[in-house]
Amino acid sequence: MGVTAFGAVAALALAACSSSTSTTSGGPTPATGFNAGITHVMNPSSQKGGTLNFASSSGIPDSTDPGNTYYAQMWNLSRLYAMPLMTYKSCPGKCGGQVVPMLATAPGVISDNGLTWTYHIQPNVHFEDGTLVTSSDVKYAVERTFDRGKFPLGPGYFPALLAPQKPAYPGPYKDRSKNLMGLKAVETPNPTTIVFHLAKPFADFNYVVAIPQTAPVPPNKDTGANYQLHPISTGPYMFQSYQINKQLTMVPNPHWNPATDPNAKQLPSKIVLTFNVNPNDVDNRLLAGDIQVDLPGTGVQAAARTKILTTPSLKAQSDNPVSGFSWFFGLNTRVPPLTNIHCRMAIEYAANKTNNQTAYGGPFAGGAIASTVAPPNVVGSVAASGKKFDLYEATTKPQGDLTKAKQQLQQCGQPNGFSTGITYRSDRPKEVSAAQAMQASLARVGIKLTLHGFPTATYTSNFAGVPKYVHSHDLGIIVYGWAPDWPDGYGEFYYIVHGAAISPVGNTNLEELNDPKVNSLLDKFATTTDAALRNSYTAQIDMQVMRDAAILPNVFAKALLYRSPKLTNVYVQSYYGMYNYAVLGLK
Amino acid sequence: MIARAPAPHPVITFIVRRLIATVFLLIVVSMVTFSIFFLLPRLAGQTTYGLAAQYVGRSPTPAAVHAIERQLGLDVPLPVQYGRFLKGIVFGRHFDSGTSKAYCPPPCFGYSFKNQQPVWPMMISSVPVTVSLAIGAAILWLVGGVSIGVLSALRRGTLFDRFSMGVALAGVSLPIFFTGLIALALFSYRWPIFPNVQFVPFTQNPLLWAKNLILPWVTLAFLYAALYARLTRAGMLETMNEDYIRTARAKGLPERTVIVKHGLRAALTPIVTIFGLDIGLLLGGAVITEVTFSLHGLGQFTILAIDSQDLPEIMGVTMLAAFFIVFANLVVDILYAYVDPRVRS
Repeated sequence: MGVTAFGAVAALALAACSSSTSTTSGGPTPATGFNAGITHVMNPSSQKGGTLNFASSSGIPDSTDPGNTYYAQMWNLSRLYAMPLMTYKSCPGKCGGQVVPMLATAPGVISDNGLTWTYHIQPNVHFEDGTLVTSSDVKYAVERTFDRGKFPLGPGYFPALLAPQKPAYPGPYKDRSKNLMGLKAVETPNPTTIVFHLAKPFADFNYVVAIPQTAPVPPNKDTGANYQLHPISTGPYMFQSYQINKQLTMVPNPHWNPATDPNAKQLPSKIVLTFNVNPNDVDNRLLAGDIQVDLPGTGVQAAARTKILTTPSLKAQSDNPVSGFSWFFGLNTRVPPLTNIHCRMAIEYAANKTNNQTAYGGPFAGGAIASTVAPPNVVGSVAASGKKFDLYEATTKPQGDLTKAKQQLQQCGQPNGFSTGITYRSDRPKEVSAAQAMQASLARVGIKLTLHGFPTATYTSNFAGVPKYVHSHDLGIIVYGWAPDWPDGYGEFYYIVHGAAISPVGNTNLEELNDPKVNSLLDKFATTTDAALRNSYTAQIDMQVMRDAAILPNVFAKALLYRSPKLTNVYVQSYYGMYNYAVLGLK
Repeated sequence: MIARAPAPHPVITFIVRRLIATVFLLIVVSMVTFSIFFLLPRLAGQTTYGLAAQYVGRSPTPAAVHAIERQLGLDVPLPVQYGRFLKGIVFGRHFDSGTSKAYCPPPCFGYSFKNQQPVWPMMISSVPVTVSLAIGAAILWLVGGVSIGVLSALRRGTLFDRFSMGVALAGVSLPIFFTGLIALALFSYRWPIFPNVQFVPFTQNPLLWAKNLILPWVTLAFLYAALYARLTRAGMLETMNEDYIRTARAKGLPERTVIVKHGLRAALTPIVTIFGLDIGLLLGGAVITEVTFSLHGLGQFTILAIDSQDLPEIMGVTMLAAFFIVFANLVVDILYAYVDPRVRS
């Protein structure tokens, strides 16, 4: 999922450099100019009315069902119609990465043994039909996530983290217990209390319940796979009409109470989302004011980018936040000769990082050259600390250090270089360019890359994420990108570097790294309740992964967003790395 | 004396024969399509587990992949899957939505792997867009293309002929994604005569329906009109040099009658054939035009299905496109059967 954000330090510095009247502290002086929307609420207003138009160059990436979605844009959008137990605070700047209660009255209370988390929910939240929300509705929403056949697209944290029962809980549709409440690991002692029993301690559980999967679902209104067509709203808006991949229209939810939901607003009188609009047409409509928001939040296309960056009045209406994604090359530790760390180090030194950055679109559309893995939005990351850890001179010698690369090749026993394969998603032009750039730069030290492109839809399920396939085809380098499910070290690293995350199909630990030091740090992370101590592990994990030369970081992704002048209350929410859709209004 | 039933009209026999052949052809198309998307990957080593893994979210557990494998019906042998597909088209199928068993009436083209919805309603909701686009553009290009072609042929070598054929050459050469974007840039953004182009159903507002479709119609018709103008011109030039035209003129028939009744009628015969094929192809999805103008028609449905590797959707849209092409050919053949008795045999 693309949970995103910007690095506080980088963003603040950027804003300070480019914003004409703003202050980095976000004081009362109204901000204007390029990047002002990263640190300030632009056009603050409580004016109601108007139709807010979104457009997207693709369809709904997965689902509008809060229980069956894994995309940042959908998690952002879903706050308009769903209230999970926790959420991310609606505010610009660093504050937007802070997890806060939404349906819950407070963060979870953890038991002494770390196995039980208790939440109290607000007693006066209603569904769109006026029915009172109870803890049973939250439990039912969690139960739905156990039916992976019906809801395969959302995260699988609850089945993985909650205490198992025998026989395994099958999900509510095969549940034969009273009132469909058969999941024993979740208890609802009263209508406003919900208790989660975990299989083992997990300190990041507040982040897990901030995923939209805890948004309440009334059992008697659940329509299974069809629930996506009309989720029963608890947020400020509710579905009026929805045609999958065509258009979604939302209107104000009359039973929404702003006092219970301070992180959202109900300002426009209608919200219309149009899908599958030609990408350049999306930008043209955005610039013309026909639409106000580009839903995916991944930035404008090349033509509009040039226009915006070369027109001062348009540039002043744009923001260039770090999106939270990091693009990198996984160096597979089990494909010879990359089994030898020195061969991997040779790649780290030989790569031309400037060309790789250009492949991703340069500094505005691609991002900043990275020397570590975790992007600056991740709490405790090296990048967020402002310190530098640049083991392979990515930022000091971005063209590559061929002398050191050759030394590493000598130590690896491959003085004349070697041959290996590089995989990339063939329908993503940036990845194609990145693979070609790597091919050219590594050839300088005799490392010959053969290009292997695969479609995105089958990339991890059939090729790059299938270790057996990777080994048999000598695919040593894998082009990939990652954004954490939540902005801390565990969310960032578990699935991409923990040995236990290596899976035979759909593998995301593409390096197949199984370093006991990394595993141990992540395991400690999961059980450490002291937030400061826990977050101190993040940089350690990052540095160890770099010492292992298992990942060649490319860029911390950025996106050029156009901030429509028609919008009010508009700012970049750091957690999503795009504008906060829950609070937008119109002039 | 035994009364014998009257022999059926030869045209009816022809139509029945062609309808039976059409059904057979569609079954063959379904088998070929199913083999391409389900059988060939299997022969190339893809497992049903690998196929199912495409439709699960990030970092799936094996249990999650197996669950979707069962949900999508991939865990049964391929002949059974194909049998279910055919059965759905003829008799309909039931799908388990979780809370209920939803009935998908015939022709049920299966259940989208990605959207978890029956394919047919989603697909059929795109048809009005494509039909509106194709029919409107067809009228424009047929009227425009044929008229220009006839006039060019009759005024061969004049400035009009050269100019119109030059424009026609440009029309044939310029791709729709180019002319479409130019049209949008000029008439939607530079001079917002047609701003924010989007499909409005005819039943909702006929004026807005037409206004929003003018740019796509003209863009699409520009390509085809150019082609038809050149074809008509060539056909007319050839026909007007035939002996029977000279004879008609020698008999003293008015020039208008010679051109329309004898010249154009003969020249139009191949145009009718091509027109049938073109309409059939367009009804299957005017992909580039729909994508350029962001129209949610069958063409865009196809692109999305391919992008997301949604095999039931790909199967469904392939079958529907094949049906349109076969149907359009059938109509053309029936028209031929009426005008040319030799075809009936």
